[in-house]
Amino acid sequence: MKRCNIMSLFVFTMVTAPLYAATLPSGDEIANNINARDEGHSVIRTLTMEMTDKRGKQRVRKTRGFRKYFGDEKRTAIYYLSPKNVKDTAFMIYDYADTAIDDDQWLYLPAMRKVRRISASERGDYFLGTDFTYEDIKQESKVSIADYSRKTIGEAIIDGHQTFIVESIPIDKETAKELGYSKVKLWVDAEIWIVRKAEFTGLRNRPLKTIYTKAIKQVQGIWSAHLIEAQNHKTRHTTKFIFSDIDYQTEISDDLFTERALRRGL
Amino acid sequence: MKTHTRAERFFEHVTQWPKTIILLGLLLIIATASFIPTLQKDTRSDAFMPPDHPALLYRDKVEEIFGLKDPMVIAVVNQGEHGIFNPSSLKLIEWLSLELETIDNIDLDRITSIATENNISGTADGMLVEPFFDQAPDNQKAADAIRAAVMDFPLFVGSIAARDGSATLIIAELEDQSLAQNTYQAVLELIERAPTTKSDQLHIAGEGAVNGYMGAYIDADAKRLNPIAGLIITLVLFLAFRTLRGMLLPNLVVIGTVASALGLMAAFGVPFFVITNALAVVLIGIAVADSIHIMSQYYEEVAQHPEASSRQLAIQSMVKMWRPITLTTVTTMAGFLGLSIASIMPPMQYFGIFAMVGVAAAWLYSMTVVPAFLTLLKPKRSSAFSSATQVDKFGQTMSWLGRVVIKHPRAILAVAAVIIISGIAGATKLELNEARITVFQQDEPIVLADRAINTHLDGAHYLDIVIETPKNEDLFKPEHLQRIEALQRYLKTLPHVNGSTSIVDYLKQMNRALNNNDASAYRLADSAELIAQQFLLYSVSGNPSDFEKEVDYDYRLANIRVRLDSGLYSIGKSTIENVEHYLATHFNSGEITASLSGRINIDYHWIKSLGESHFYSIAISLLLVMAMAALSMRSAVAGVITVIPVAVSILLIYAVMGFANIWLAIGTSMFAAIVIGLGVDFSVHTVERLQVLIKQQGKTIDEAIIALYPSTGRALLFNFAALTLGFSVLTTSEVVPLTRFGAMVGVAVSASFIASMTILPALIKILKPKFIGLGNEKATIEKE
Repeated sequence: MKRCNIMSLFVFTMVTAPLYAATLPSGDEIANNINARDEGHSVIRTLTMEMTDKRGKQRVRKTRGFRKYFGDEKRTAIYYLSPKNVKDTAFMIYDYADTAIDDDQWLYLPAMRKVRRISASERGDYFLGTDFTYEDIKQESKVSIADYSRKTIGEAIIDGHQTFIVESIPIDKETAKELGYSKVKLWVDAEIWIVRKAEFTGLRNRPLKTIYTKAIKQVQGIWSAHLIEAQNHKTRHTTKFIFSDIDYQTEISDDLFTERALRRGL
Repeated sequence: MKTHTRAERFFEHVTQWPKTIILLGLLLIIATASFIPTLQKDTRSDAFMPPDHPALLYRDKVEEIFGLKDPMVIAVVNQGEHGIFNPSSLKLIEWLSLELETIDNIDLDRITSIATENNISGTADGMLVEPFFDQAPDNQKAADAIRAAVMDFPLFVGSIAARDGSATLIIAELEDQSLAQNTYQAVLELIERAPTTKSDQLHIAGEGAVNGYMGAYIDADAKRLNPIAGLIITLVLFLAFRTLRGMLLPNLVVIGTVASALGLMAAFGVPFFVITNALAVVLIGIAVADSIHIMSQYYEEVAQHPEASSRQLAIQSMVKMWRPITLTTVTTMAGFLGLSIASIMPPMQYFGIFAMVGVAAAWLYSMTVVPAFLTLLKPKRSSAFSSATQVDKFGQTMSWLGRVVIKHPRAILAVAAVIIISGIAGATKLELNEARITVFQQDEPIVLADRAINTHLDGAHYLDIVIETPKNEDLFKPEHLQRIEALQRYLKTLPHVNGSTSIVDYLKQMNRALNNNDASAYRLADSAELIAQQFLLYSVSGNPSDFEKEVDYDYRLANIRVRLDSGLYSIGKSTIENVEHYLATHFNSGEITASLSGRINIDYHWIKSLGESHFYSIAISLLLVMAMAALSMRSAVAGVITVIPVAVSILLIYAVMGFANIWLAIGTSMFAAIVIGLGVDFSVHTVERLQVLIKQQGKTIDEAIIALYPSTGRALLFNFAALTLGFSVLTTSEVVPLTRFGAMVGVAVSASFIASMTILPALIKILKPKFIGLGNEKATIEKE
């Protein structure tokens, strides 16, 4: 009787396992789908950064951002609108397609009326005092194919939407250390291929942070997140990126991504 | 007398069912002892402070706001030509910084060393944020370049790297502070494996290391001190009685006493503190005293009434001894009550309470189990008490002392007067001082680590100055920052203050980097906007919690961490007084205020209150003991006379401390309150006996003194030997304050014994106080 049960379970598993797997796309397929999404050739948007520390103290900074692809190279400029004492401060990054070449970064400080070049940041460094790393920002809504090996481990409903759960593991220890993660678990929307939720595990296999992507709406035909929230479980620091006035259609002049433009301001 | 017969009836009951009494006693011992394994150790230095002390509460708040923690610190010292800036030392620093990551409780993001941190420097068109080195160099030239870079980074000079390059620190914060002892062990093992060359020395310091050490010290003490104390006391008992029961019965009382005190401590969740090892030793001495007096009386009875039955002998011994033993029990308890009321240190308060529990337990077992055993055992003579009239050498020595007292009472009182006067003079010269590091033996690694950091770097001792402004972002204002800068400049002029770090130092570094690394630009920017933008600039590559230790999230509160090379109370005191004066006259205004915190501030406040409460605590104990003695003997004069020997012995210690410049400190301040409870026993026994001899037996004062010495005097001699030898065991402790404490209590107890045997009878002979019955001989006779 007992043996029979185990046998039938075995047969059942043999039959259903490949079937079940066949219904889910592989991790790589999902990653390719994510990266194939249209992000727009360029975008202009207002970004409000809300940072909250563990004691509930808040820093709010409002910016206007410009991003444009120059072939595979991505250029970004961010202008601070408020608070008053950092108004007109501007930050610019040239992110080169060749990962071997360091990014170029500049910062314009209006109080000095000078643009200063800043040496490149590490991928795992935090971006402008937020809970996002430079790598998180660089990938934006995409994922890095080369850094991880991934597999699909199931499905779940997030915010009422069907998602695939993809587990990504850095390909080696060195990459893990660079990124600051030992594992990333993604909940990827099965229809529009946006990551709705991501759980990051630290190098000690303890929960590090969770990023939620919310208020996903179509803007000019492109699915766009209007709220990205990061909660750091270790420092209990949180960051909210609130996007508004998203515009993919207005042409951005190449001249906007120059030191002179930074100085001139908006 | 009525009480007499009541006592007789009580001990008839006790001896009626001796086996039941013994069984109940043994069950009680087992029951209380069964809690002992649940005792928890508490080795934190903060444990010695009242948990609601304002300085402690403020420190906790400040630590919470700024995320300050007690890190584990590894010091690398190299006295060679290039200091630590040579290829192999740099490799070692890199190795240690990396390997620390493998220790589970160490926070990966909070390891700070010259191998982990970024250098911020200026270039012609911008700013360079990069590690001091990516990989340890393999040649001296590259090492020299690293040295130049580190020395050009003012934030690290003195705090992370020695000004002369001879040492550097690797600072590692812990994720869970309560696991510090294990982490300390793991760091120790790491250091064992480290690729150290001959010229590199490694030290581990930090509060975690201190706690780890204390735990090991306590365990070592408990394993050694208590067995030695037990052994020594058994030896004293052998000399006193020379019988097996004379050695074993008192030891049974000792076991019962220690079991009740420690068992109840465990049952009430009171932790085992650094000084609790002394409690066991004190209790061993007290417990054995009661039974020494009973056994002495028992053997006197055996010698006088060889024909009496076991039960009769037991009852007669108890009838004679219950009163003095009960009296000493209540007076000793009064002394410990005073200690627990007046002490400000929780470990001392608990010491007082559980010493009271132990003293009560010793009384209970002496009053019940001891007579029960004596009833069961066949009467047997002790060779020390061969006949009713003859006494042994110890008795003879005491008799000689008695004759001296009868002959020279005035000379004895003159000596006492000299001691009292020099004691008062000594007490006025007492210096309150303490240095935590002196808790450890001079050659301990933790002491060497402290010394290394104090000599090569700015120092291992911190004072925190918390700056407060009314509104958010007020700390962007240049005038506030300049005020902080001026305060830091002033701090540097104070002796033993070698450096300080605040947000101002980061801003100056940033300003210099933005201005082409021009040395003249190492100053604060002059507009609030630029300062706000410099903070933003820092965050380009910084962690969200980067300035957590220096400024709060609203830019309203800031912390200045000041480094001193000494943890001595007297230095902390003068520093704090100077800083407080500066703050009041130059710093505080409606717009900005500063308050002190940090280890040095805490030590200053509580050692100050320790000094203030010292004399108060002694006065309370003395008063309570005096009241108890006066009440029991129904005479105020009796109360005063009883505490005189103890008071004289304490004054003697003050005289020694004052003239030998021994500090009044944590260890030395504890002695007096404990001596009162212990030392008063000698005078209670003496006074009670003289009262019995004179009032009841109608002897003259000289006759009474002659009778006192060979019996009560002899018993007190062994009582004193047991106590003093017990305390001398403490002097072999690993913990330095306990060693000093043991020595002082030992000396003071000896002085109390001698004073009770000389000053007390001399005083009674000269004053002829009413309560003793002198001059009332007629009345007594008439009554009879």
